[in-house]
Amino acid sequence: MMTVVAVAAACSSGHSGGGTARVVEVTERDFTIHIPARIPAGDVRLVVRNRGPEQHELIIVRASEDRLPLRSDAATVDEEGLEPQTLGTLEPGPVGSTRELDVHLRPGTYEVFCNMAGHYLGGMSATFTAT
Amino acid sequence: MRSRRSFSPFAGAARRPIAAILATFALSSAITVGLSIWATSRSQHRAAVLEIAARQRTLAERYVKEVLLVRSGAAADPATTATDLRVSADALLDGGLAPAVNGDDDDTQISGATDPTVRAELEQERRLVHDLTATGGAILGGRPGPAADTAHERITATDPIERLRILSDLTSNTALNTARTIAANADHSLGGLIMIQIGLGVAGLTVSLLLALALVAATRRRTAHFRSIVSASTDLVFVFGDGRCRYVSDSVTATAGAKAEDMLDEGFTRFVHPDDLDAVRMAAARARPAELVFRMSNHFDEWRQLEAHVSDLRGDRHVRGVVMNARDVSERVRLEEELTHQAYHDGLTGVANRALFRDRLDQAIAIAARTRASFAVLVVDLDGFKTVNDSLGHDAGDELLTTVARRFEDALRPGDTIARFGGDEFGLLLDGAGEEQAAEVGRRLLGRLSDPVEVAGRQLSLGASIGVAVHPRDGEVAEDLVRRADVAMYAAKEAGRGRVETFRHELARELGESLGLEHELRQALQRGELRVHYQPEVDLTTNAIVGVEALLRWTSPSRGPVPPSQFIPVAEATGLIVPVGELVLREACGQTADWARRGLLSEEFVTWVNVSQRQLVGSGMTALVRQVLEETGLPPTRLGLEVTETAIVAKGSASEHARAELQRLHEWGVRLAVDDFGTGFSSLGQLKHFPVDVIKVDRTFVQGVAVDRKDAAITANVVNLAHVLGLVAIAEGIESADQLLSMRRLGCDLAQGYVFARPAPATDIEALLMGGQPLTEAA
Ligand SMILES: [Cu+2]
Repeated sequence: MMTVVAVAAACSSGHSGGGTARVVEVTERDFTIHIPARIPAGDVRLVVRNRGPEQHELIIVRASEDRLPLRSDAATVDEEGLEPQTLGTLEPGPVGSTRELDVHLRPGTYEVFCNMAGHYLGGMSATFTAT
Repeated sequence: MRSRRSFSPFAGAARRPIAAILATFALSSAITVGLSIWATSRSQHRAAVLEIAARQRTLAERYVKEVLLVRSGAAADPATTATDLRVSADALLDGGLAPAVNGDDDDTQISGATDPTVRAELEQERRLVHDLTATGGAILGGRPGPAADTAHERITATDPIERLRILSDLTSNTALNTARTIAANADHSLGGLIMIQIGLGVAGLTVSLLLALALVAATRRRTAHFRSIVSASTDLVFVFGDGRCRYVSDSVTATAGAKAEDMLDEGFTRFVHPDDLDAVRMAAARARPAELVFRMSNHFDEWRQLEAHVSDLRGDRHVRGVVMNARDVSERVRLEEELTHQAYHDGLTGVANRALFRDRLDQAIAIAARTRASFAVLVVDLDGFKTVNDSLGHDAGDELLTTVARRFEDALRPGDTIARFGGDEFGLLLDGAGEEQAAEVGRRLLGRLSDPVEVAGRQLSLGASIGVAVHPRDGEVAEDLVRRADVAMYAAKEAGRGRVETFRHELARELGESLGLEHELRQALQRGELRVHYQPEVDLTTNAIVGVEALLRWTSPSRGPVPPSQFIPVAEATGLIVPVGELVLREACGQTADWARRGLLSEEFVTWVNVSQRQLVGSGMTALVRQVLEETGLPPTRLGLEVTETAIVAKGSASEHARAELQRLHEWGVRLAVDDFGTGFSSLGQLKHFPVDVIKVDRTFVQGVAVDRKDAAITANVVNLAHVLGLVAIAEGIESADQLLSMRRLGCDLAQGYVFARPAPATDIEALLMGGQPLTEAA
């Protein structure tokens, strides 16, 4: 049920967004994020599938050399500090859901991660390059 | 419906829809309550699960702290916390006892998770707990960090403490997320539950409302149907179900002066006369008999006579009962009883009249046939009474008659009967008397009468002529006895008055009266000495002539005019009445047809012809009337037959036959009238079953109507009765304007008498008809 609704919403927003965006599949499972290592620059629609068993977020930022800065709790990434380089955010999504995030990628390196407590440190991040 | 207690008959029928409404309410309420209970227990369980999930967080943090404490050399028990973490994780997943974490907690028993998503999360939690405690165990055991990836985490940090802290975060976070998922599911299912409950409530209300509307509609229909039965008349209506009274109409409660609830169920029994109760119960239970008469007390505690029709509507699904439509016939019954009494008694003197005398005579004959005892009939005729009447007036005459009656009563035994035959003629019936005793009584009566009487200030001495006939010697049937006593009485008069004569056959011969008259009457028939005269009948509101009565007139060459009162009895006794009657019928019909053809008659004009019992009993009356009407071309509706009361009440197959003849003629259109009404009715009920159109009020009542209160009362009753039965009342023999006025006041419809016109030959009547004028009341 959820899926159907999400797909329908995807279709309508796809049309309004110009319809030329490239679709990129992103999968979240356990404490990992799978995303292609290379993605053509330009308008991109990230289709994020959460395969469980837990809820996950997805945040996309332009990557810097270093590891992402942590908050004082030492368990989560400092999202506020990263705001200037943040392209988009998906709030925690339920298991089994598919959500979309439209971003405009300029050539460069990007990192996606989940910022639920411990998830980033538990390995829930991935980087890719836009060319 | 509100105040219509009346509709209790439907209480049973309405039970089903009401039950359905209640059942719907009950069912929807039960489901709602059940769902609420279930939801409550579920949410209690969820609260427990949420609490335990939250405890995992505390336990995970405590575990990290305890591992660090132990590592830094302090005393702590991370192994117990690790066990608690594992036990709790197992309990969350598969059910069981979750250990208390804080001092104020209790061990909590929970059942396992069922939702697949929740289970997946809890399995992850269990793996994380494993990874966490394994990492803690490695640190405490001084071993290198284990490949703690059961939960597929890929921790890049190499410091074991750092790894432990990250795993603690993951454990806490997963527990927290699981709690959120459970809560979200709970919210979701709670929302569904609320929707279900709202739906149930709406559905229950809707169904109940529809059933209630259907009930109201059905009740309306039944009410309408029932009303159609009930309001068909203004009757008193009872409805019985299973022998109990389920409904009484307002007219019933009004008559009884009671409330409906006092009459329902068994209540009605208190209002029904005890002697009639069984019959009413029977009718209420079995709807039989179809008609019954019973007495019900009214609010004055008088018994009212009700005549009820019983309809079996037990099969009618709208009524399902026995319906009794009753009518208060008390007035009619009272009138009948009163008239019956009047019909049997002489209005002036209070002694029996001719009808009752005849009745007693028949009884005496029947008894004598069994006991062989004799009895005597005396006919008494006062001498010189006419002189008294003429010289001192009617009032004096009436006073005298009353005195005579009293003296007779004093002189006779209680078992004897005294009757006034009319005028100054009395009849006596002496029970058990033989010839000698009868003559003795006759002489005693003469002695009593000779005592002077003071009337109108004058001392009068009375004489009488008395004739005696003894049963069975002088006759075995009533007519013979009376006629022979009559003959003896005439003989006494002839012999010089103030005498008692006993019948002897020689007397009859000596008198020769009846025989001679018979002979002359035969001759008169052949010679055409009999003529028909007509007396107009007048509508009392318009004075228009609406008919004539055909009357026989005989002028004998030797005797001069012979009054009908003399020759008609002879004609009846000899059977000459049959040809005489035919003559009158032919003459009257021919004459009327002639008038009708010439357009002299109004629409309603009827010519009335007297028909004697003898004519009716002889067969062929119907055939004769048909033949005469066909020959003369007179429409049947223009002919009316006047019959005596005897014709209607007499018993025996001959009389039955006569009534059948009249019935046929009436069906054919011929009108029927009862003559001399009020002088001899045994039961007015018989009048109901006979197709009479007109009642003729006897002239003896009419003549007293203006001066005698009793006569006036009788006449009023007869007129009322006629109207009750839907008949026309006509007054005979109106002679004065006073009488006419009285008859008008009493509501009499038609009248006939000297005050309008005397009987006259056809030519004279024709003149009146041609004039077309209403008759004026000539004196
Ligand atoms: Cu995550």
